Amino acid sequence: MKAGPFVALVAIATLVFLVLPILIVVAMSFSSASSLQFPPPGLSLRWYESFFGDPRWVEALITSTVLAFASSIVALVLGSAAAYGIVRGRLPGRGLIDANFMAPLILPTIVVAVAMYLALAKVGLLGTWVGLLASHVVLSVPFVVLVVGVAIRSFDERIEQVAFTLGASRAQTVLRVLLPNLVPSLASAWILALIASFDEVIVTLFVAGVYQTVPKRMFNELVLQVNPTITAIATILIAVSVLAMAAIGLITARRGGLLKTMVGR
Amino acid sequence: MRIGRNAGTYVVPLLVLMVVAFDVPILLMLASSVLAPHPTVAHWAELVESPIYFRVLGNTFQIALVTAAVCGLIGYPLAYWMRGLGGRAQLAVVTLVLLPFWISILVRTYAWIVVLGNNGIVNRSLMGLGLTDRPVSFLYNQLGVTIGTTNVLLPFLVLPLFAAMLKIDERLLQAAATLGASRRAIFWRVFFPLSLPAFAAGLVLVFILTLGFYVTPAILGGGRVPMISSMLDILINQMPRWELAAAISTLLLAVTLALYGVYRTIAARAA
Repeated sequence: MKAGPFVALVAIATLVFLVLPILIVVAMSFSSASSLQFPPPGLSLRWYESFFGDPRWVEALITSTVLAFASSIVALVLGSAAAYGIVRGRLPGRGLIDANFMAPLILPTIVVAVAMYLALAKVGLLGTWVGLLASHVVLSVPFVVLVVGVAIRSFDERIEQVAFTLGASRAQTVLRVLLPNLVPSLASAWILALIASFDEVIVTLFVAGVYQTVPKRMFNELVLQVNPTITAIATILIAVSVLAMAAIGLITARRGGLLKTMVGR
Repeated sequence: MRIGRNAGTYVVPLLVLMVVAFDVPILLMLASSVLAPHPTVAHWAELVESPIYFRVLGNTFQIALVTAAVCGLIGYPLAYWMRGLGGRAQLAVVTLVLLPFWISILVRTYAWIVVLGNNGIVNRSLMGLGLTDRPVSFLYNQLGVTIGTTNVLLPFLVLPLFAAMLKIDERLLQAAATLGASRRAIFWRVFFPLSLPAFAAGLVLVFILTLGFYVTPAILGGGRVPMISSMLDILINQMPRWELAAAISTLLLAVTLALYGVYRTIAARAA
């Protein structure tokens, strides 16, 4: 059943509502005007120069990048191992354990931020690198458990059993039989965790102390004033996201495509 | 040799981290609303007695309700339209709907300052068309918060709804047509009821997500649209009244989990 013309019109307007603001930000970042007027009166790269010329922004970019890489790698290792344990293990209450790993995605982030703030303050780790790293791992690990869990479930268990029968140890089976087959999913999971950490604002605002990440700086600037430099960093973030999305699209294309991975599960 | 033997030990490292860095903090927070500095219900009494907290709670629920309603009103036609598209066009539109999912909430929120500001494209067009002499204030009020929140949360409704609509068997609709039903009757009496569980689940999801939403309301509300999350920020970072923040967080957590239970029940029926 095809949609009628009125429904199609509403749908297209909604699609424009969804996407247009992003396109406008990209266009504005190349504006030569110092106010936010659209369309821009001329083109320039001044906002990119102003971003990369400001040591505070560059420092925030470095902190964000290091934090995103560190936390996503920890999340990938711990999360993949946990997904294996949940799918293949015979644990009592594994549904509950799985729910526990997913919980940071479901609870309101502001509640998680308050809880982590109070707990870290209690043990004197507020504003430390350890506290920040742990909070980012907790927030990005659900993506890894989810994506890698689905992949292990769809990998034929009998192939692992054959390796066992032929005398491989569990470590050999996991490392040499299972993992090579999971590479696309592991890569997708890692990228998701990386983006989740890089974009994280709320918990970082509460627990980061003097550490400045890009989203934290952006948030604090946006609450105070409107500075066109933000259009430049916003465009850089959009470019990174689109590249990440394209990468996952390419990686998962073999397995039924982006559509199935994101919608179908 | 059974595959499952000892495989369970693989969950241990993450489980330890989750207990230490997530479960214990959440439990401590729940406890501190009644135990700090000694066992007391004073913090809860203050929450119940001060009219200001009720006003903020009511305001938050109202915004969540309006956001869910608007998402439903514009999201359903979009999902329905997407279902009828051909392969290549459908993939392109799904990618466009997915795109915002990937882009930082900060960026998407910031975009609305550019679009809706006094010098933004909307106000310039309105003034250019002579519909208004002065810029309309879209920002730093409830309207701006609702527009931004709807924009950010819309994909959460559209994508699962679209996936559910794809599963509706075309032959059912054909059968209804063969039996002489009009297009309108086919939609309202066959298609819509079949899509209703997924639609309801999407509405509840948007409602839940708005309740605890912080970034977009803080930026587009400019401190003038009080919501639960911005109040928590004030109670932690400015006042500071930690125990009261813990009590409000507990309340928000309970409401969210209860609604999430509703969501799971409806979503299970949709699947």
